[in-house]
Amino acid sequence: MTWRVVTRRDIAETVRPRLVKLLLALPALVILGGAYLYPVLGSEPYTTARFAGFISGWLPTVVALAGILLGYNAVVGKRESGAIRLALSLPNSRLDVAFGAFASRAGLLCGVIAGSLAAGFVLVVYPFGSVAVVRFLGFAVATVTLGALWVGLGLATSLVVATKRTAFILAFGLFGLFRLAWGPLSRALEVGLAESGLTGEEPVAAAALRAVEPGRVFERVVDAFVDPSASVDNVWYLNEWLALCLFVAWLVVPLGLATSRFIGSDLS
Amino acid sequence: MAAISVDELTKEYGTVTALDRVSLTVEEGEIFGFLGPNGAGKSTFINMLLDFVRPTEGTARIFGYDCQEEGVDARGRLGVIPEGYSVFDRLTGRKHVEYAIRSKDADADPVELLDRVGLREAADRKASEYSTGMKQRMVLAMALAGEPDLLLLDEPTTGLDPNGAAKMRRLLRNENERGATIFFSSHILEQVEAVCDRVGILQRGELVAVDTIEGLRESMGGGTKLAITPDELTNGAVQSVRTVEGVDDVQVLDGPTLEVTCANDVKMDVLLELYNAGVEIVNLRTEEASLEDMFVEYTRGSQA
Repeated sequence: MTWRVVTRRDIAETVRPRLVKLLLALPALVILGGAYLYPVLGSEPYTTARFAGFISGWLPTVVALAGILLGYNAVVGKRESGAIRLALSLPNSRLDVAFGAFASRAGLLCGVIAGSLAAGFVLVVYPFGSVAVVRFLGFAVATVTLGALWVGLGLATSLVVATKRTAFILAFGLFGLFRLAWGPLSRALEVGLAESGLTGEEPVAAAALRAVEPGRVFERVVDAFVDPSASVDNVWYLNEWLALCLFVAWLVVPLGLATSRFIGSDLS
Repeated sequence: MAAISVDELTKEYGTVTALDRVSLTVEEGEIFGFLGPNGAGKSTFINMLLDFVRPTEGTARIFGYDCQEEGVDARGRLGVIPEGYSVFDRLTGRKHVEYAIRSKDADADPVELLDRVGLREAADRKASEYSTGMKQRMVLAMALAGEPDLLLLDEPTTGLDPNGAAKMRRLLRNENERGATIFFSSHILEQVEAVCDRVGILQRGELVAVDTIEGLRESMGGGTKLAITPDELTNGAVQSVRTVEGVDDVQVLDGPTLEVTCANDVKMDVLLELYNAGVEIVNLRTEEASLEDMFVEYTRGSQA
């Protein structure tokens, strides 16, 4: 397995452009800004655990944007230019190339998220906050996973198409669908189902569908396992363990399917 | 063990057959030239050896490793200049070669490799700023990393000036003396003629000939070319030369010069025929048929 070699090369290539630095600064700014403002805008008691609940509403969109933009070009850009032919002429497998790109891009984003959270931790605790280390670590793990999840979705688009343009459209389609359109769409479905009289007052299908979106899954995981002031409703589709499973599924399944498709396809 | 062994390799894109049941064995230590006009299927063939493209049917092996099932092992024995590559945008030449060395898990000095292809001075410049020829030489340096057992080169002299191409040929010969097998494709005949032990000619996806250059000449009917300068030339004389048994081709060039491609042992018959037709011969030159003539002969009509 030479994915580490691929990762190393990809990082060397990726960190230079200004756009990438801006992208990585985005979640850092939100986390640090949130940590700075939390003691001012939030309510007592100030703990690192409740801080998680304070920023978990903003994070999904910002992390999604950074992740998708880091991911969508990772492989298809090289496929379009032909640089991937150099990589695959060497004893690297396509799995190495896919996973190496994932490790590089997700590593960059997750590193920035983890670093910002560590700095944010200090801002929250000092001078009046109290520490809840285990819960905060849980939050850090969840946020880092969210970063990896969106890099994975971006990379999945990069693996299944042959041009940068298509990947860009697909990636932003996913971002727009999940982060912008999902709420209104599932709401419309809910209203439509209720109006049609096919279901009861609260159409379960629509509500369950709304709950599947990765950002909402992340929020539920944080509410259930990290933030002591929040809890999840006691309906099956909002169950915390289901949320955790969905969270992992979002990370693994799209990327896995896209990678297997990439491995099986002709490159020209 | 054969360096390359390919059996009934076929690639179809929809209704188009890019490669049609090609079988070929290249032995260890050979320099093999893969020749054909553009679009004949040379790159499709090489792309399947590299597993960029999956065969519709047939198998390809490199040192016994199946190119599709055991691609990483197969490529572990290779040094490659692929078709249609581009360099990594923001990496220097040195970083490229380091990447190749690490991927092959080899122990080599990137600067020494770049020096061998004349790029020592440019090692720390971004490869995206290199000229086409420099990029080609850098990729050759990547290919040479780790002393591969087989060099697989798709149009290796693309972008090189004649001097660079000559250097490349020298380098290939040295690699061959080290023990490496060399397989390269080209649409330029001199390249192949100058270094190859054996040649395969591909036309419209079919392998139409595989032989040594001497063997190809042989099969072309001795393959001698006569350049005859007569005092004056009549149509009747040209016609009667064409009727001589063993004559493949007669061309009338300016001068006038008569270019006759024929079997070795009918040279005298041709001259005799001209003499009988009343033509006085001012000058006479004989040359061996070049590969170019054979190539044209083999692939005639492929442009139609």
